[in-house]
Amino acid sequence: MAEISFPLPDLGEGLIEATVLDWLVEPGQQVERNQPIVELETTKSALELPSPQAGKVVRIHGAPGDTINVGEPLIVFEVPDDTAGIVGTVPKDEAPKRRVRLSAVLDED
Amino acid sequence: MPETITDLRITANSMDTPAAGVEQLSMQQALNRALDEILAENPKTVIFGEDCGRLGGVFRITDGLQAKHGEARVFDTPLAESGILGMSVGLAMAGFHPIPEVQFDGFAYPAINQIVCQIARMNYRSRGTLPMPITLRVPSFGGIRAPEHHGESLEALFAHVPGLKVVSPSNPHDAYHLLKYAATRLDPVIFMEPKSRYWQKGPVDVTTAVPGEATHDGDTSSGGSLTGSRVAREGRHLTLVAWGAMVSRCLQVAELAAEDGIDVEVLDLRWLKPIDAEALAKSVGKTRRAVVVHEAPLTSGLGAEVAQLITQSCFATLKAPVERVTGFDVPYPSGDLEDEYIPNIDRILFGIQRVLEYRRG
Repeated sequence: MAEISFPLPDLGEGLIEATVLDWLVEPGQQVERNQPIVELETTKSALELPSPQAGKVVRIHGAPGDTINVGEPLIVFEVPDDTAGIVGTVPKDEAPKRRVRLSAVLDED
Repeated sequence: MPETITDLRITANSMDTPAAGVEQLSMQQALNRALDEILAENPKTVIFGEDCGRLGGVFRITDGLQAKHGEARVFDTPLAESGILGMSVGLAMAGFHPIPEVQFDGFAYPAINQIVCQIARMNYRSRGTLPMPITLRVPSFGGIRAPEHHGESLEALFAHVPGLKVVSPSNPHDAYHLLKYAATRLDPVIFMEPKSRYWQKGPVDVTTAVPGEATHDGDTSSGGSLTGSRVAREGRHLTLVAWGAMVSRCLQVAELAAEDGIDVEVLDLRWLKPIDAEALAKSVGKTRRAVVVHEAPLTSGLGAEVAQLITQSCFATLKAPVERVTGFDVPYPSGDLEDEYIPNIDRILFGIQRVLEYRRG
């Protein structure tokens, strides 16, 4: 397993910080990509930040009311070593599912 | 494509490797090992591309190679595919054997000029005095839910260009051996790696390219030669023709078809230029029915070429016209729409059913 730290991104155009309103996930929790993880407030708006990736939450930085600078650690995920790299996801090998049935009269000529 | 160029003979080859038996490797590991050995065996080899050096590639295919073989032989390039391929031309002219990487298939477009106008033609233009022993690695096809340009299916574009060879492995064993083989060619080879299959493990026998026991997804068939296709599953009633990531899906379909009493053969084409027409004739000559499956759009896709080769050799005995189950005639979609685009099990089964119920007259 590997840890991936996600720093606070610039949430607007040139914003330098954001205040934590409420965490929507907690350490130990498994999150999916795009799942809302935290409510933040900037000088422009309040917003829900979607998770940049799937993984298990290891640490969260900042309690409600705390201000975090852009670029500082926001959340740390634990991910399998077999990650897809920078882009994409590792496909799951699932049991094949079918709806179509074949029917044929096979004349062996 | 006529084989007018003699093979490059390098100092050692995989046959000299001490028998290490069969190992379970992912395709990523198999390709990494192949590149490591190619670098060790051929001092003319250089590997480069975006993030290929220090990072080891976004898919980890070149992981650790720079640390082991040095920054002069494994290095990063600017984000400029035309430069990566243009530099490959110069290096090849100077006697090197470049193995460039285009990070994602959709990034190959800016380098089409270098690939088509230079790499594919230089040997021809120079009357054989400037061969282009370039193996262009292209992480290809979809299946990893990536954004636009990160999943494409470009085999028909490359296969249409005289002077290029095109190959796509479907499993770790073939990936290892086909990459080592491609790297010893004097002709440029477009090496299309099915990125959705990078992480699945399979048996790799590094001691022999053609093992009888090479198995993949329950496949128990024989290997075939490195220059041709491979029967991935034997069957009597119908041949599924596929390559790259679609091979494992076709093997799943074959298992499902067996539940309905239909015995499906799966032919892993491997080489998309030149195509193993003999194997197509042999397989479909036996089964008398064929469905070709690919991710690329239907129109002018390689499926049409395969269908014609089958028709040419098997017209008299075919039970039905060759069916094509392919992507749609739309731009290869980004991840969220992939499942609707890539041929799925039901669409392939429908294709089989259309062939089974075809009646003349």
